[in-house]
Amino acid sequence: MRTKITAAIGVVALALPVANAAAAAKKKVVTITRTVKGPQAVADQWGYVEVALVVKKTTTTVGTHKTVKRTITKVTAPIYPNHTDRSVFINEQAIPLLTQEVLTTTKFNPNIELVGGATATSYAFAQSLQAALIQAKRI
Amino acid sequence: MHRVEHVMGMGIVVAARHGDVPDDVFDWFRHVDETFSTYREGSEISRIRRGELALGDASEEVQRVLGRCAELREETSGFFDIDAVDGDPSGYVKGWSVDEAAAILDGAGLQEYAINAGGDIRVRGTWRIGIQHPLEPQSLAKELEGTDVAVATSGAYERGEHVRDPHSSHPPAGILSVTITGPELGTADAYATAAFAMGGRRAPNWIAQLDGYDAMTILADGRVLSTPGFPSA
Repeated sequence: MRTKITAAIGVVALALPVANAAAAAKKKVVTITRTVKGPQAVADQWGYVEVALVVKKTTTTVGTHKTVKRTITKVTAPIYPNHTDRSVFINEQAIPLLTQEVLTTTKFNPNIELVGGATATSYAFAQSLQAALIQAKRI
Repeated sequence: MHRVEHVMGMGIVVAARHGDVPDDVFDWFRHVDETFSTYREGSEISRIRRGELALGDASEEVQRVLGRCAELREETSGFFDIDAVDGDPSGYVKGWSVDEAAAILDGAGLQEYAINAGGDIRVRGTWRIGIQHPLEPQSLAKELEGTDVAVATSGAYERGEHVRDPHSSHPPAGILSVTITGPELGTADAYATAAFAMGGRRAPNWIAQLDGYDAMTILADGRVLSTPGFPSA
């Protein structure tokens, strides 16, 4: 039987630091978002594929010091082969575009406020409620 | 404060960091259950499925939900298809009802709240969220920090593979779970169900082209694939 822990706990509000020494130096943040496309590339017998990236560039200027941060916010393939086996091809192409990690296991810890998972039905309710009540006592 | 009630066949947790959780949010979930449950003979959905109620005579909200389900079938190339489950819209209704509940909490003036409906989550403000490990339910596969976001997961857990590919009626292969994040929980949940049903070969690319939604896919070989915008810890 599947077991599940669902809990939501309140969090003590933190006092925000008021003083901001850096405010004296002028700070300027400029964010631009651009879509960039790669060239259409031949993919063996499959046809052509084109990849587009949406890039967000944030330029922060404090006094004379400038820092630039670029983030890829979206990856698409606006052109891809139309072939009966294209899902096979696309899968092999898409995977390198995605961040890849190895599945890890971590224990439930008190920093976690909510637990998400696959659809739970009533059998999980008792454990869910119990876990929530335990967490509630720690507030 | 936080409140937990058993509605729609699951535990629903509503938590607010400041202020009280209003009663009418659970009144809403009970209303959704009465209207959409396939376990209630008198619900509108049950009457539509038995052919006793014409779609055109159904309430506006039922028509809206079924209309969105039809759109989602198109958006997912038929991998989210309520016709494959005899017109049971539960796979969308749960998330949609949470989205509507969020609007109720917004209307009550709450700034920081979380709703967890049987493992599918919508938060306003920033919350630390753990995603259950698909093979070890007492553990987490991922920790993330979510701000103003919906988080839906579909997967095969110990109770068995309940999602099937509507085209082949086989359980999907090569995939353990899909978690989708984005603005609406109803849509995120339907996308997660569809991507999971696609299986490990097709899901990663389909996920990479979703507009406004991000995804983490856990494949059977232990690889975890995330789109660039998927929230991290």
